[in-house]
Amino acid sequence: MALTRRAVWLAAAGLVPVLLLPSAGTVLLWALVVVGLCALDAALAASPREVAVRRRVPASVRLGTTTTSELVLTNRSRRRLRALVRDAWPPSMLVDGVTGLRRTVAASTRHDVDLPPGESARVRTPLRPTRRGDRHAGEVTVRSHGPMGLAARQASLPVPGRVRVLPEFAARRHLPSRLARLRELDGRAAVQVRGEGTEFDSLREYVVGDDVRSIDWRATARRGDVVVRTWRPERDRRVVVVLDTGRTSAARIEASEGGASAGATRLEASIEAALLLAALADRAGDRVHVLAYDRALRGRVAGASGPRLLPALADTLAGLEPVLLETDWHGLVGQVRSRVTQRALVVLLTSLDPAAVESGLLPVVDQLAGTHQVVVAAVADAEVASLRSGRDDVAQVYDAAAAARGELERNAVAAVLRQRGAEVVEALPDDLAPQLADTYLALKAAGRL
Amino acid sequence: MTTDVYTTAPADGATVGDGTTLRSRAARRWRSARWTVLVVSALLVVVLLLSVSRPLTSAVPYSPDNPRDNGGRAVAEVLADQGVEVEHVTRVADALRAAGPGTTLLVVPAPYLLDEQAEALAGTEADVVLAGADGLLLERATDGVLERTPQLADPADPVEPGCELPVATAAGTSRLTPGITSSGGDATLCWADDAGNAVLGQVRHDVPTSSGTRVRTVTAVDDPAFLTNGAVLEDGNAALALHLLGAHERLVWLVQDPMDVTSAPDQAAPGGAILPPWAGAVGLWALLVALVAVLWRSRRLGRLVPENLPVVVRAAETTRGRGRLYRRSRSRGHAAAGLRAATADRLARRVGLPRSADATAVTDAVVRATGRPAREVADLLYGPPPADDAALTALARRLDTLESEVYRP
Repeated sequence: MALTRRAVWLAAAGLVPVLLLPSAGTVLLWALVVVGLCALDAALAASPREVAVRRRVPASVRLGTTTTSELVLTNRSRRRLRALVRDAWPPSMLVDGVTGLRRTVAASTRHDVDLPPGESARVRTPLRPTRRGDRHAGEVTVRSHGPMGLAARQASLPVPGRVRVLPEFAARRHLPSRLARLRELDGRAAVQVRGEGTEFDSLREYVVGDDVRSIDWRATARRGDVVVRTWRPERDRRVVVVLDTGRTSAARIEASEGGASAGATRLEASIEAALLLAALADRAGDRVHVLAYDRALRGRVAGASGPRLLPALADTLAGLEPVLLETDWHGLVGQVRSRVTQRALVVLLTSLDPAAVESGLLPVVDQLAGTHQVVVAAVADAEVASLRSGRDDVAQVYDAAAAARGELERNAVAAVLRQRGAEVVEALPDDLAPQLADTYLALKAAGRL
Repeated sequence: MTTDVYTTAPADGATVGDGTTLRSRAARRWRSARWTVLVVSALLVVVLLLSVSRPLTSAVPYSPDNPRDNGGRAVAEVLADQGVEVEHVTRVADALRAAGPGTTLLVVPAPYLLDEQAEALAGTEADVVLAGADGLLLERATDGVLERTPQLADPADPVEPGCELPVATAAGTSRLTPGITSSGGDATLCWADDAGNAVLGQVRHDVPTSSGTRVRTVTAVDDPAFLTNGAVLEDGNAALALHLLGAHERLVWLVQDPMDVTSAPDQAAPGGAILPPWAGAVGLWALLVALVAVLWRSRRLGRLVPENLPVVVRAAETTRGRGRLYRRSRSRGHAAAGLRAATADRLARRVGLPRSADATAVTDAVVRATGRPAREVADLLYGPPPADDAALTALARRLDTLESEVYRP
């Protein structure tokens, strides 16, 4: 049972009889009239529990794209259904999401339907997710108004629905340029730049400009013509991408300089970088293995390649949430060593927080760097970078000094990591994915995979 | 509404109903609301009982329902047993309404009596008994014939009445405090001492009525102790009280409430005359509208959908915190060292020096790159800590300038 605005007007209309006959009895009588009419109206309303509701919703949607949740409502009662229907979704899914304290009603989720008995109607709720992860629909609430529109009967129907919001993968715009570079490495580009790889590819005739050191004298002697060996970058190497989902990944970082609000977490930038690297490595013919780990394995993609890789990856990474725990680096290294026995490129997506690295990663990086090529990719914070250049007043200079000190400490940690044989990439969130891809290409070109 | 069970029917993927029946919904609502309903109804019953039942006794002095020593319940009970109708009022308006011809109006000490209230009480047609009245009421009620002479001592021995009033002769001796004198006029004084201060004074008026004239008496007893439970048995107090108060069939016993300001028989509660007569009805109507509006707004269209949000911890907070620590402890030395080291680190990288390069090597390289004097560069990069905040800011700016002058070769 719910009242409408019209019921309030009906109660207010009682002022006329009250003024004509001012007594408490008049008011009581009018109150009885209002209660009676409202009760009658509610009794005459179609039952909201005799509405069949079916939901159609896409299984997954990419972050930032718009989709719709579709409800098919069928009136199975013998009365006409005049109803207000709410298709409830979590706030981050709504087009008109709650931005301040004042907006509390999401109008996009409310729909008016007017259905004669036995007929159906379709209502669509636009959804634009702003956060990654699984989002479950709330209940469908049907408020069925009576013929006078004074009162309504209301029921909340459990109509399950789930949308998996996939990572945005905004870094995919960097993919074409990196693929072009990969083709250059592969020796398939129009401009013949010989790959610096280590795998023997084929023999071909010498042309002016080729490195004389690559002339295959034995083949030259056989053919009577100067023949050079060509090399190609290694293929079928293993690339292991490890996402650190521990507490340092939960920190919010500014995506670009001067941002007013706290942006996404470090993990978001890590996921972007992981997706770009995985897509690139897969095209380059390497086998991609992705792990997400803090104190337990949070997600794993292995064995997928080609067109199946990115969907599998997006699906796995969609549900990742930062965990407020210190990462167990020993366990993480154990995971990597148990899953990959051959030499591989191990990319650790984490942060260069000096305290966390010194107590966690540094003691164990040797175990990895001995057998694998390790790349430590860290997300830097644009806010700290902007603090570094503040000079307007004394407080800003002190902040700048603190930022400078932090930068020195991170550089020192990076230097130690490099001494242990790891590559270190630290970049702002938007730059991390392309820089990590460039590092991968450089390592591949150098034959260090 | 029917009592069919509405269940989720997944045959065609559609949901119908929420799996509840009228009975189950009613049971759930009752379960969730029963304690509230019980507590509220218990409170209502208590309030109702309290409002219906009036306390049987009070502690107000000289009140006919006060059984303590300073109360007047003994006299009131005896009068009631003798067939006198005792009406206990607390407002002057009620007293005026009740006190007509053929009644006795008793006014016990009323220190908050207003001028117009005294005037109104003096003008009543009932016989008036003033027990311990103040000078104002006494003067108004007797047209100034009787006056108070307060602060007199109790007589040591019982005093004979010394007057012909039947009341006084019936009561006999008295040890009440005298305090009434007469300033001439037709007044009778009883138990008077040598100076003319009497315990009781009575004035008789002739009042014109439709059937000739009627005698109306105003009797004043300055010491109200004669009607209290504690003193009524002393000497002739009981006879005095019963004779004075039992003279008529009805007795109006006014114990004035200090908040009472009424002075006319038809006066209602305070403020009652300010509002128009329809105000109460309109107020009730407004209450009805407000109630309906509350019910309209209070029903939510389905429950809220919760969403787990990640914690908001800015990564830069540790840096800001460290900056604030520097500032609070005024450690300019640390701050300047940090800025200088960071600049030196960057400069060394730009000019191609290894991380292990020492201060001299960095200074020399920067001097070569910028053409600045060696001392100035050394002072800038490795000089003493700044003396104050202004010097620190200046140092930061100069370091910026130096950094901008060195380009990657």
